[in-house]
Amino acid sequence: MKARGAVSAALASAGILLAGWQAGVQIAEIRGSAASTSAGTDTGGTGATGASGSSDSSSQAGAPASGASGAAGSAGAAAAAAATYDGAMVPTRFGSVQVQITVKAGAITDVTALQLTDDDRKSIQISNRAAPLLRSEVLAAQSADVKSISGATVTSNAYLTSLQAAIDAANL
Amino acid sequence: MPRTSENLPATPPRPLLKARTFQSMGTVISLTLPVATPGGNPPDDELAAAAAVVERLFRDLDQIFSLYRPDSEASRLARGDLSLRAASAAMRGRYEEAMAWRLRTEGAFTPERPDGVLDLSGLIKAHAIRESGTSLLALGRADWCLNAGGDVLVSGSPVPGSYEPWDAGIIDPLARGALLTGYPLGHGRGHEALATSGSAERGDHIWSAAASGSEFMQVSVLAKDIVTADVLATAIVAGGVPMLNRATDGWDVDVLAVRTDGRLLATPGFRAGVS
Repeated sequence: MKARGAVSAALASAGILLAGWQAGVQIAEIRGSAASTSAGTDTGGTGATGASGSSDSSSQAGAPASGASGAAGSAGAAAAAAATYDGAMVPTRFGSVQVQITVKAGAITDVTALQLTDDDRKSIQISNRAAPLLRSEVLAAQSADVKSISGATVTSNAYLTSLQAAIDAANL
Repeated sequence: MPRTSENLPATPPRPLLKARTFQSMGTVISLTLPVATPGGNPPDDELAAAAAVVERLFRDLDQIFSLYRPDSEASRLARGDLSLRAASAAMRGRYEEAMAWRLRTEGAFTPERPDGVLDLSGLIKAHAIRESGTSLLALGRADWCLNAGGDVLVSGSPVPGSYEPWDAGIIDPLARGALLTGYPLGHGRGHEALATSGSAERGDHIWSAAASGSEFMQVSVLAKDIVTADVLATAIVAGGVPMLNRATDGWDVDVLAVRTDGRLLATPGFRAGVS
């Protein structure tokens, strides 16, 4: 299910992010911009924006490393104000996934997917669902070099007239 | 470009493929290995030894699990002469595995016949293939193709040391003497196992919830391991499109399914592997 895939990918990313967040709050504060998201108030301190920190999530989408935008300014405000942290880009079977978490008073209050795209920047294909296929599309496969045959179970008697028997006979 | 063909190093000749076959579990098992080319060191003995190990493994499992042998442990269980509690560790291990698959497939795969008799045959052949693969690798054989009645597990390459896949064909259920398509095993996405189940053949081992019949006449599943491929192929034939979607959502598999009207359904990965 599409939702299930996205959620599990997001959770995996969030887990990595959370571990990093717990280990590196100080780093986040150093790198964080001065945009507080607690109540939409602008602290006006954006002049001190760190190298990679940004409150604009879209600008983070291509960044391979973790970034954070948190309640900068005073360290005391960090605990009360909500802060957002961008997770690392996590490669998955379906493409790269990056999430952003919002943390307030030590608890995650929101998880947002920043990036759910594949390498071609198309929207991510979570689904591996089977879709109609024309026989002519698969008939291109050459049978000449086939080394083994798969089919519904053949009985010992049916084997004698099977394609597999012909292949085996050629290799005996 | 100057003609220097005489000075070019001779491209190593392609190794010959050698096959050994034997009967077990009501079908024929084929083991195919690349052997050294003529002039080299033909390890025919190694092929014979490898085939003997696989054959012994199939026979031993068949002795325990065959319902066609009145003296087998499975038959004694079916008759009620033996309780599961008193059964061998091998029997209980497979029973546990089968029940786990029944849970994971939400009942589409079940080890119990409609009459309530425990029948693990849907799992035992795949288990035998899996165990054979483990034994072959333990023997130091890195390149082989094992086919048991249409279920295929490969390792390595038909050209040892290369990335050449083992090309496997899939039978056309509408014309059983012809191939519907092929898929390169052990290559690309790393599917090394291919199992195909049908609603027409051996219909006795697939019990569709809807007794009226399956939506699919044939389902092929590609997976990393043969038990997953085999169980899911069986489950999809029994469970129809809902089970097909559960399989492709929940496992790293690719599927080619043939509807009863002959139309095909395939996962994107299957499509990519074929082209």
